[in-house]
Amino acid sequence: MQSAEEKQVEWQNFYERVQTLLKEGPQSLRKLSGAELTRLIDDYQTLIADLARARSLGASPSTVDQLNRIAIAGHNVLYGEIRQQVTLPHSQWVGHFSRTVRHHAWAVALSAAVFFGSAIASYIAVQLQPSLGYDLLADAFLDFDPASEDNLHHIPSLARPVVSSAIITNNIQVTLLAFGLGLTAGIGTSALLIFNGIHLGSVAGWMTLQGKEKALWGWIMPHGATELLAICLAGAAGYLLAAALVAPGQVRRSTALKRVGGDALVIEIGCMAMLVIAGLIEGFISPSSIDYTSRLAVLGLSLILWAIYFLGAGRAHLR
Amino acid sequence: MEESVTISTPDHVELKFEFAGLGSRFAAYLIDFLFLLLLMLLVGVVALLAGVVSSTSLKSIFAGESGWATSWGVAVLIVFVFLINWGYYVFFEGLRRGSTPGKRRLGIRVIRQDGLPVGFREAALRNLVRAADMLPPPCYLLGGLIIHLDPLGRRLGDMVAGTFVVVEKFEFASQGVAGAAWAARVQQGLSRQALTLPRGALSVHQIELIEQFIARRHSLYQGRRELLLWQITEPLLPLLGEDRDALARDPRRAERCESILLEILAMTQTGEPKGNRTTRETTQPSLF
Repeated sequence: MQSAEEKQVEWQNFYERVQTLLKEGPQSLRKLSGAELTRLIDDYQTLIADLARARSLGASPSTVDQLNRIAIAGHNVLYGEIRQQVTLPHSQWVGHFSRTVRHHAWAVALSAAVFFGSAIASYIAVQLQPSLGYDLLADAFLDFDPASEDNLHHIPSLARPVVSSAIITNNIQVTLLAFGLGLTAGIGTSALLIFNGIHLGSVAGWMTLQGKEKALWGWIMPHGATELLAICLAGAAGYLLAAALVAPGQVRRSTALKRVGGDALVIEIGCMAMLVIAGLIEGFISPSSIDYTSRLAVLGLSLILWAIYFLGAGRAHLR
Repeated sequence: MEESVTISTPDHVELKFEFAGLGSRFAAYLIDFLFLLLLMLLVGVVALLAGVVSSTSLKSIFAGESGWATSWGVAVLIVFVFLINWGYYVFFEGLRRGSTPGKRRLGIRVIRQDGLPVGFREAALRNLVRAADMLPPPCYLLGGLIIHLDPLGRRLGDMVAGTFVVVEKFEFASQGVAGAAWAARVQQGLSRQALTLPRGALSVHQIELIEQFIARRHSLYQGRRELLLWQITEPLLPLLGEDRDALARDPRRAERCESILLEILAMTQTGEPKGNRTTRETTQPSLF
């Protein structure tokens, strides 16, 4: 019969071995030899057997607790590398984003409807009732003087990196809010989309009234397609979470949230990548002195590329 | 919110995880918040000292008077601060098995619903949707309320990611040999039994009490230890046939009580008396 001290030492040794492996990180098991691995598994099985006996025969709570914690550490080491979801090979990430967006097209459509709907509504409202502009616009836009006839801003080239990184980080922050606030049953997401839609629509309406619309469109066109699409996608990610909360179907709300969480994250990450592209265009191309035709060309090109990507990419890899 | 959750493993063992309370989670958040501020401050100070930025950088960049180094320096700094702000939790939880510096201090960590450590996927999900839990910012009122109401103590971000926050703190030391003694015995297929002494029997609970006291006796300060020793040993003396009054007056009472208890434990392990006889007074009637 094993003495008490031997048993205690056995547990302690196993715990220490497992702790070292945990500290070494996820690849630590691969460095063990076959014999070492077999021994580790044997010791783990002895330990969980001890735990099961201790529980069923009513050992003191402190003993059960100690064994339970050692077992958790062992379980984490031995099973930690086995992931239940099938992880995609890196080469398929590009197609995965577009496939996920297509799969949740309704959410993208809803998000786009809310965003562009409020933009168009406020555009028309300002046309019909120009005094609304004083309520809806930030003061800076009321008397805005475009840099040229076909562009709003001209930014000195030295400042473009700073402007670009400020725009990228700010936009990503906004989309993270639109994403996370989906958990307010979509109220926060809708508020953000409507707020930004009204901003866009009322500025456009106001500039049109003042005859400066060519400068506004000239400014927006190069980065607009990418940026506005990304905002709609972030709204869609938010609405996915909202739908799981509002209409979970046959499962618990938390289960519905978990199921849709992965897809929403993929859309949000893709959207962040798009905003990096949009921010680089907005920082370096939009404020440059290229002419109106080139701006139109950049818009056309980006629209075509995004259309090809979102309609076509990732279809070949359907599982 | 319940106290704990039991997760079944593929080996059919049930692991029990104790949920972290609202208090320790909030304390961890405060520590992380301070740490985050310090980190940003550090980045700012380093950038200042390295001469990348100064208080007039922005003005000179927009006036076209600075160099490209300053311009790109400020651009990178903005991105860096953003990454620290949003990536802090994702980075630490993803890389260090669900614990941030604050959580580590408090001895808590994030796990997946199957009991395994979180990876970057879960860490990103539960932290990027933080905006909702934080409402109204930065109070975490909504998150706190939901943690309180959810039986599994999850905030919204935990539900989306499929995670729990559990207690991890674990001291090996004071658990003692007592439990092990019993488990070693159980391994042979024998369960704990009552012990028959010369003038009566000890119940299982009394043996358990002795085991736990012996395992922890060195963590008690002397006065307390001696008092407990007497309180535990005194009711046993008639069973052993010892003279209570003689022992009560003995100046080395504590030592004698301890050796009596140790001897009882030795008997529960082997079924027969053994132990350190040299510490016993032989003038007293023998225990066995």
